[in-house]
Amino acid sequence: MSTGAAELLPSGGDALEFLDAGGDIAGRSPLQLFWGRLRQDRVALVSLGFIVFLIFLAVAAPLVVSILGLPGPNVQNLNLTDSFGSPLGPSLAHPFGVDTLGEDVMSRVIYGTRVSLEVGIIGTGISTLIGVVVGMLAGFYRGWIDTGLSRLVDVVLSIPVLLLGLGLGAACSVRGCAKGLIQPGLSTILFIVALATWPYIARLVRGLVLSMREREFVEASRALGASDARIMFREILPNLAAPIIVYASLLVPVTILLEAALSFLGVGIRPPTASWGQMIAAATPIFNTAWWYMVFPGAALLLTVLAFNLLGDGLQDALNPRNAR
Amino acid sequence: MIRYIIRRLLWGVLLLIIVAGLVFVLFRVLPTTNPAVLRAGRDPQPKLIKEIEVVLGLNKSLPTQFWDYLKEVFLHFNLGYSYYSQESVRSLIVERLPATLSLTLGAAVLWVLGGLSVGIISALRRHSLLDRGAMGSALVLISVPEFWLGLVLLFLFASDIGKFKIFPGAGSYVPLTTDPWKWFTSLIMPWFVLAAGSAAIFARLMRSSLSEAMKEDYIRTARAKGLPEKAVVRQGVRAAINPIVTLFGLEVGVLLGGAILVETVFNIPGVGRLAYQSIQSSDFPVVQGTVLLASMFIILANIVVDVAYAYLDPRVRYS
Amino acid sequence: MRSTRVMLFAVVGVLTALVLAACGSSSESGSSSSATGNGASVVTPAGYQSSVDESLSGKRGGTLEVLQEADFEHLDPGVTYFALDYTVVFATQRPLYSNEPNSNEPIPDIAAGKPEVSADNKTITVHLKEGIHFSPPVNREVVAQDVAYAIERGANPNVANPYIQTYFSSIEGMPKAEGGPIKGIETPNKHEIVFHLTEPKGFFVAEALCLPLTAAVPKEYAEKFDKSKPSAYTNYQVATGPYMLKNNAEGKVLGIGYVPGKSATLVRNPNWNAKTDFRPAYLNEIKIHLGGTQAVIDRQVLEGKSVVQNEPVVQSAVKLAAEHYKSQLDLSPGAGNRYITLNNKVPPFNNLDLRKAVYAAVDRAALDRERGGTLVTNVATHFIYPTIPGFEQSGGLAGPKVDYNEHPEGNMAVAEKYMKLAGYPSGKYTGTKTVQVVGASSAPEKEDAEIVNQTLKNLGFNTKLTLVEISTMYAKYCDAPKEEIEVCPTVGWIADFADPQTVLKPTFDGNSIVSTGNVNQGQVNIPKINEAMAAAELIKGKEEREKAWGKIDEELIENAVAIPYDWEKSPRLAASNVHGVAMLWNEGSWDYSFTSLK
Repeated sequence: MSTGAAELLPSGGDALEFLDAGGDIAGRSPLQLFWGRLRQDRVALVSLGFIVFLIFLAVAAPLVVSILGLPGPNVQNLNLTDSFGSPLGPSLAHPFGVDTLGEDVMSRVIYGTRVSLEVGIIGTGISTLIGVVVGMLAGFYRGWIDTGLSRLVDVVLSIPVLLLGLGLGAACSVRGCAKGLIQPGLSTILFIVALATWPYIARLVRGLVLSMREREFVEASRALGASDARIMFREILPNLAAPIIVYASLLVPVTILLEAALSFLGVGIRPPTASWGQMIAAATPIFNTAWWYMVFPGAALLLTVLAFNLLGDGLQDALNPRNAR
Repeated sequence: MIRYIIRRLLWGVLLLIIVAGLVFVLFRVLPTTNPAVLRAGRDPQPKLIKEIEVVLGLNKSLPTQFWDYLKEVFLHFNLGYSYYSQESVRSLIVERLPATLSLTLGAAVLWVLGGLSVGIISALRRHSLLDRGAMGSALVLISVPEFWLGLVLLFLFASDIGKFKIFPGAGSYVPLTTDPWKWFTSLIMPWFVLAAGSAAIFARLMRSSLSEAMKEDYIRTARAKGLPEKAVVRQGVRAAINPIVTLFGLEVGVLLGGAILVETVFNIPGVGRLAYQSIQSSDFPVVQGTVLLASMFIILANIVVDVAYAYLDPRVRYS
Repeated sequence: MRSTRVMLFAVVGVLTALVLAACGSSSESGSSSSATGNGASVVTPAGYQSSVDESLSGKRGGTLEVLQEADFEHLDPGVTYFALDYTVVFATQRPLYSNEPNSNEPIPDIAAGKPEVSADNKTITVHLKEGIHFSPPVNREVVAQDVAYAIERGANPNVANPYIQTYFSSIEGMPKAEGGPIKGIETPNKHEIVFHLTEPKGFFVAEALCLPLTAAVPKEYAEKFDKSKPSAYTNYQVATGPYMLKNNAEGKVLGIGYVPGKSATLVRNPNWNAKTDFRPAYLNEIKIHLGGTQAVIDRQVLEGKSVVQNEPVVQSAVKLAAEHYKSQLDLSPGAGNRYITLNNKVPPFNNLDLRKAVYAAVDRAALDRERGGTLVTNVATHFIYPTIPGFEQSGGLAGPKVDYNEHPEGNMAVAEKYMKLAGYPSGKYTGTKTVQVVGASSAPEKEDAEIVNQTLKNLGFNTKLTLVEISTMYAKYCDAPKEEIEVCPTVGWIADFADPQTVLKPTFDGNSIVSTGNVNQGQVNIPKINEAMAAAELIKGKEEREKAWGKIDEELIENAVAIPYDWEKSPRLAASNVHGVAMLWNEGSWDYSFTSLK
């Protein structure tokens, strides 16, 4: 799982090619071309649809759960175990079975989408934000700002991610860190995830900006007297939107898997909040008597990550038509 | 060239020091149990705690402690002593390194061979059923959580607790020198789990990289000149290999620091598991030692990759 | 003592307890105390192994493998205080008195006969056997001075024995001792040791001589190690028992017989004289493999050969064994108690009625089911547990007859009654205090904490649930009075030896409260009960002690100082070709000195 993000190292100037593609057709912006190509990719659309479905599940979880007639995710029903304490399996009332506390697994899997999507989307969002700012500054100003920031990126990339996450998670596990700014649970995970992944975005953006800043429209802007900030964020950035979105979307599955791994190792989301990784961890000791508790959250995790990967692939293809599959 | 290598090495050492500093701060400043209390054992008297703090140097200022630590590490290669067992951190790590090396290098062989061959074949037979099937499986393997895959495999195929008793189960690892066959068979499932995701990524990357390379003009020229297809493909692979090399170096670097998840699930006594255990018990010297080791491997891998690039592309040396 | 372990992975961490059997039973099959009441039974059902009536005979030879998830905490006989550590310490070290596996009654080990307590209860004389030798590299005969040094070093801050002041503070000179010779320990000759006490507690102190602190330690060899902070003797220890931790010629054990985190190896002690010992020591070697996951370990043991596990069995493996491998499952009644602590000192639970309300509401049967159900647990109704003297006197299985104790499954109606009495007419808490619940992240402690958390919420409390690694839970939160944690759902206790005082006094006496490592987590401090305990400590004679302590147990329940929920019947697993013999007095753990291969 530590591998996913490393794939994102920008290889040369590939990412900028979309700017030149379709040069003969007048009037269509790169973004429009991008969407046009994406719309034709059926697999990517299906994945997008699935992700939208997940988002709906996450947002409307209480509604969905009540429509399905399931109890809430934290509702304990201590009578749903046998005399040895083994939880009961799938049944009509509980299609995915129950866990050792009698909580409904389907309900918890549905609520689990919240955690995964929050970490995936917000975590990646924060990471992207930091990465874009750092990369933009480094690429635009060059010189010692670039050197300093690039060295910072080097430092962060040299720290083993999972170990760092474990250490931070363990340290912040009860009273929180940074004077309570980082509370145990979700904010710790977001902190770790953002910390671990922003360098990749930063490197990408830096590379893109380095190539972009020599272009004519930048020179033209400067001639018109635009300030640095305006050039960076109003001229250059919009052109980078597409590759950034693509790479961010490839980061999302990485962050989701990272959260699952941290929860599995005991430093992530804490009970009673439902998180797929934590459910898998809890299911490990009872796997031979309660297979459902490991299989369903695992499958949910797999499908979610798969969907984001497929979407990311589709976006990448839409971005680089030369590599069309 | 030499100057470039030296520059990179020096920067690598500096990086290591910075990382050491960060970890130092992380574990001393953030609230965890006072290590003197842990080392003192059960129900310690305050007097003993104070004495142990002096022995461990915890009563000195943070910068002093850090400076002392750096001197020990870089001048004497002494990584300190475990709070928990008083054993030297260096020997703890050295003891467990062979297991991690066995795991990582074995998996690396598997994923390079597997990933590259699948990637090359897929690139050459794009859009065929084989291609789609391979890429689809690759995608699934990238998406599956490592620990879940490991557990499922154990519960299916482990010879002691699995449904189909094929491979040795968790905890059956023995060093190569003790029993080569047992060493080999006990690592088959862990290798597969560790290699799965990486092989998949390699395959995908190889496929896209090679397909692009094969569209280049010089390939067309080579074919036109009448070169056999195998030689043509080899040319393409040579060109496509760059991003793969980068990725490989980084992957191996990260994993040499310890594949925590796989080592934990399969109970392999490697550096990763040591790191995890020491974090759990706030055994700070061991934590710092293992993190330093992991960082060192990552930095080394980066240097090797950069130097390889510089060798292949002289322009890089002057950046 | 407490049998916690450092859980390295999110699996089982059941707190087991030492069982101290009822009076008088030795090698005959004395089944543990009565059944009846509540329909529950303490006797082991047919088909399973039982630590009470195991046969002690076996075949010589062979190597036993042990799969053990948790690492040892301390193997130094002067420091060790955990049930898991005892499995190795009691195979390698011989204290003055020790126990046969299926009995609670200590018998002479290094001692030659029973302890002689003077009429004024202030002097204890013990004669030692001859012909007991230390293992290599010390080799020489064990003499009385070695026992004296073993106890004296317990007061050395570098060793810091955790129970020395609790049990031995009445020895003259002990309170001020720091590792040097103690006035009250006299060795008139090589095979006699005499203890002079400043208070008439001789009967009780004599019972405490079965603790590992009294295991002989050679001063001339150990002194230099005891100088380091903390003592390094454990890495160079010598043995007096039938087995020893493998060492090299200089005596070094670390890295050879004990590799932390990896393994421990016990080999035969060449200087052990079988004629001086009641232990048969059938096995040639015991190899302990550390690490792994309990769920996997349990299955590996059930399906393997010549292998055992020696930690609490996960619930799913209990079920598996009960359904398919009955003869490989050993049950040990009276392996300790488990309870929920409520902070008696700070609001809201300094209010007696609120404590009673929570007591009434908790579903104790469910907490027990998380561990494997009635096969391996009994719902606890007071603190002294089966096989400890005093169990019957405090109500036996049914316990003190108060309404909040009558419903093992929890009863909200009774709970509401007490909420109202506490001043909350709606039956739900309406105050502002947030109750901190600190539990452990391993199973089933995790479930304990979540069930208790939910129960509190049902009563209207605002809670903050925190799950951490189990040793952190103790060291940093529950055992630290200044943290003022309101509820610790997973606390357990094992008697240090077969006397009810060891179950109740360290845990519920107001005078036992210390600032770190405090095992009176609830900070219970009721003057009347403190006085009763002080008086009961001085009582000479078994029956009187049982009566007095039984009464104290009842009073503790009447004050709802904590909520007991489990009397452990600790399960252990062995492979089919292992004739395992379990220590009734040490949480049902396998006794390596009596176990053999079939």
